[in-house]
Amino acid sequence: MFRSKLMTTSLVVSVAFLAQSTAADTYGPFPITLKGYEGDATNSVSYGGQIARQTLEQSLKSLAAKGDGGANAAELEKQMLSYFTGPTAELPIIAPAGKDGFPILQKTVGELSGSANLEGKFYNGLMPAWAGNMTGIDVAKDMIARAAASKGGYDAENGFDYPQLISKFTMGAVQYSQAVDNYLDEKLAADVKPNNLPYSDGASYTGKEHSWDEAFGYFGAPAHATSLAPKVAYNVAKLADLEAADANGDGVVDLKTEMVFGPAYYAAGADTSGATNYLPTIVNAYIGGREVITAAAGEALTAEQLGELKAYASTIEDAWENVLAEAAFKYAGSVYKDIATMKDTAAEGDIYRTYVKHWGELKGFAMAIQSGRKNLGATAVELNKLIGYGPVTADNSYVTGVDADGTFIRDRRMTWSDYQLNMLKVQKLLDEQFSIKARSNDVLAELDALAGAVDAASNAETD
Amino acid sequence: MDEVNSLSALLSQLPDWGGTYLHDLSADFLNERKRIFWGYLALSAVLAVLFLFSMRGYGWRSALARVFDKRVFWSGSAKADYVIFAVNRAVSLLISPMLLTQSAVTTTVFFAMSDQSVIGFQSLAGWPSGLIIALYTLVFFLADDLSKYLIHRWMHHWPGLWAFHKVHHSAETMTPITVYRVHPVEGILYGLRGALVVGCVIGVFAFLFGAGALSLYTLLGVNVFAFFFNVAGANLRHSHINIAYWPWLERVLISPAQHQLHHSTATRHFDRNFGAMLAIWDWMFGSLHLSEPEEELTFGLKPHEASATRIADIYLRPFRDLYHMARRRLVRKS
Repeated sequence: MFRSKLMTTSLVVSVAFLAQSTAADTYGPFPITLKGYEGDATNSVSYGGQIARQTLEQSLKSLAAKGDGGANAAELEKQMLSYFTGPTAELPIIAPAGKDGFPILQKTVGELSGSANLEGKFYNGLMPAWAGNMTGIDVAKDMIARAAASKGGYDAENGFDYPQLISKFTMGAVQYSQAVDNYLDEKLAADVKPNNLPYSDGASYTGKEHSWDEAFGYFGAPAHATSLAPKVAYNVAKLADLEAADANGDGVVDLKTEMVFGPAYYAAGADTSGATNYLPTIVNAYIGGREVITAAAGEALTAEQLGELKAYASTIEDAWENVLAEAAFKYAGSVYKDIATMKDTAAEGDIYRTYVKHWGELKGFAMAIQSGRKNLGATAVELNKLIGYGPVTADNSYVTGVDADGTFIRDRRMTWSDYQLNMLKVQKLLDEQFSIKARSNDVLAELDALAGAVDAASNAETD
Repeated sequence: MDEVNSLSALLSQLPDWGGTYLHDLSADFLNERKRIFWGYLALSAVLAVLFLFSMRGYGWRSALARVFDKRVFWSGSAKADYVIFAVNRAVSLLISPMLLTQSAVTTTVFFAMSDQSVIGFQSLAGWPSGLIIALYTLVFFLADDLSKYLIHRWMHHWPGLWAFHKVHHSAETMTPITVYRVHPVEGILYGLRGALVVGCVIGVFAFLFGAGALSLYTLLGVNVFAFFFNVAGANLRHSHINIAYWPWLERVLISPAQHQLHHSTATRHFDRNFGAMLAIWDWMFGSLHLSEPEEELTFGLKPHEASATRIADIYLRPFRDLYHMARRRLVRKS
């Protein structure tokens, strides 16, 4: 009796140990599990289309800053639309393009995917955060046209920084939206892209394997992300740490598996606070989910396995949503501080330019977070009201709408102080709705600091 | 298994908790923000000796003997003070994380201000910095002192609150530690008062002037007014050294002798001098009583009201009193 118990115990312990030691710490490679597959592939992981879209978003951001004030508007708009709508296969990857000391393997979008574009995957629900009562795609195209007609992507008069607006909005309207509202949502249903059939005819991966891989690709983390400290991941995205990016040590960075893109970059950015661990949380959930699928060995997933996948999906969605909220919180704080600086100096020159850039980032992330699966309802309405269609500009006017010709109307004014108050309210709202933890640029903390400066305990002294 | 884990987690925290407690216990004497900071205590002793020597005709030796009178510092009542001080530190360590924080009140008041449309955010930010800081310091001091006056007055007025406050008045001899002779329930009420006052003042000022413009004029980290109060012998309020001020000054500031009179057993002294630092509130609301330095005062309460020395009775009797009060009410109603 005792002996058999001992044997069982040792068996359980060794299995547990084995399971732990074989748990993947990178996303892939994972074996082929598709029943009946007769090709040569040995790795079932594939998400080239998603990485292609990461490069399209970054390239579009670069192009948005290339306007010369009107002369090249038509040509630039056409070029930007080619990155937005396609065909994209022949297009050079403008960003990330690598640099001395950080060479990148792929030069064209086609080396990642033959048919990926942004428009086909862009959030196309109503986007009330932008003037003109448009859908998500309309808003993106409107921004593209305005960026092309601007000088350097900067519209000082109305207070817009298009490279920031376009890239941050896209990060939500494509990457976040596709991951949480499609691949980690509809495509997790039992009868959609089942695991006992190929994703598409001739594919080497099952329906569920590829759905999950694509969701991972949209997050933009390298396969070895869990081994990167937040600051290191941050430096990879900034093309500043080849050694950390180059996981296989071949001297070049493969965008498919070794690069940190937007969403993962902002997760790492929040994690540098030390108060969060969004990047490892999200990547480990992706790896955990992929292991559940791989372990099914090409069979249809059971209800229990689907349940496990949905739990991982929910972890990913919650953390990702928080990453966007943390970023919006941070930039609301930047806008508040920029206004304080402008009050001390004047609303002109470099500081006004910086203010418009920070506002573009705030606005972009506020739009991104409204592009997910959840309807944020009153939170979104309040956020849009507080941030406005545009920031308070140098003459205290701000965009209130567009006229029939598409020209921005700025027929109301607001004091700098009132707009600062709005930024405080934005931080408070985000904190209440999303439990902000990294708290970058926390201007609410000034109030806490004042309260903390007065010793609570001594106030309890009685007489 | 879970229970075992949580129990062991709790036990593993005990050394930390004990360390924090011992630290808290001694820290009050080392913290210049506290009234019983050793420096203020020493200064109070010097003031007391000087007072007895110059105003009461004591010799140096007899003045010292009077100030450090063993019959006062080692009386049964004083020993109870020391035990209560130690027990209350532990209680406060346990309950303080659960209390309303002043930062929560600050945020609430600040954003409530933003809902009104009469005066805008930072609309007084253009005022001279020195004036803002002076005003902030003064308003803080006044609001703090007035709220202490009011809550103290209510403690005497409402039987349910008096049940707890009489713990403080049961002291038959008074030492600087008697300031901590309070029931924990009273401590909580005072803590809430502090959070509300601090939160309201900061919330309103941060809205009108901007948080960045605010700081307090302080000395050794204490509001400058409270600092002078401490330096001027605040510790002697709870003592047997009856320093009195000129009558005109006793209408502005509460002297040690006036507060001792507040503790007096004489009926004509009941419900007088509720003020903490300022006497103007007592003056304004008709509860002022100038000191009577020639009068020999006795302190404490009658045994049927409260015990001066029995610790369990001191902590539990207020609840028993409340129970009896509630029962009397119910019986009367039925």
